[in-house]
Amino acid sequence: MQDDTPRTADADIIRKVVDGDINAFEVLVKRHQALVMRIVKKHLPYSEVEDTAQDVFIRAYRSLPAFRGSSDFSHWLSAIAVRTCYDYWRKAYRTREIPLSALTDRHQQWLENVMSAQSAKESAPEGYRSEAGEVLDWALTKLQAEDRIVLELVYFDGHSVKEAAELLGWSMANVKVRSFRARRKLEKILKNMVSRQGRLP
Amino acid sequence: MKSFDYRLETLKSMLLQAYHEKEKLDSDDRWHLNVMGLVRKIGPLPVKPDPLVQFGQFVWRLSPVTCLLIVMSAAVLLKFDFTPDYNVLIAFITDVEEVSLVQLLPL
Repeated sequence: MQDDTPRTADADIIRKVVDGDINAFEVLVKRHQALVMRIVKKHLPYSEVEDTAQDVFIRAYRSLPAFRGSSDFSHWLSAIAVRTCYDYWRKAYRTREIPLSALTDRHQQWLENVMSAQSAKESAPEGYRSEAGEVLDWALTKLQAEDRIVLELVYFDGHSVKEAAELLGWSMANVKVRSFRARRKLEKILKNMVSRQGRLP
Repeated sequence: MKSFDYRLETLKSMLLQAYHEKEKLDSDDRWHLNVMGLVRKIGPLPVKPDPLVQFGQFVWRLSPVTCLLIVMSAAVLLKFDFTPDYNVLIAFITDVEEVSLVQLLPL
């Protein structure tokens, strides 16, 4: 029987797995699946979430002998999850699997509601929840994979430049420059949306 | 009509809210069973070899080169025939009259 009480430290379980006890890995999966799912759900389309979360744990399993224990296991796993999401977008952009369709009437309607609303609460009716996410995806699709991931980490998730650099394995200077440029690009896209909406009858 | 900046800020806050709502979407918790299935297929992780074992493997990897060098050295020695030097040495060792170095040198 697996001992998955919190008292068993991650480091002890990792040692067991590296020593050949495959089943001990299930404890790590159960313990950290919520964390991985939270990261993957935010960065990827819903249809890709489960496959990617699986991929994250398979990557983590293969890389376990390289885990030195100098940082927290959850932090190490988060970095794997973020890099797996980034790899997904890189591949998707390279193979042009990104839908570039224009916004539909429902999206335009949602935008109109948002623009004319007096408050954020008023502009978020129940029926339009998915439209908001789709409009966001549409806007982010206009960016490069690198810009997209760094923007989500720094401006949406609120990570510091240092944290984002650690998660992505990039230099801090690269994250700083990328995030600044990506924010400007997104700002331009959103401004275009707002001005176009203002011109509509 | 709201100002452009107000509309832009409202849109930004709505999109940010939509981003954070993505993590609240439901998912099937049974996916982790597939993870364990895949992990079992991969099998146990390769054990990191002992440094001494690694050194031994390195030495054995060099053994063909070493053998080749020995054969080549033997061939060179046979070609240049070292027996005359050997005979001179024997002559000195077995010299019953004990020829000294002084006698040999033209002093």
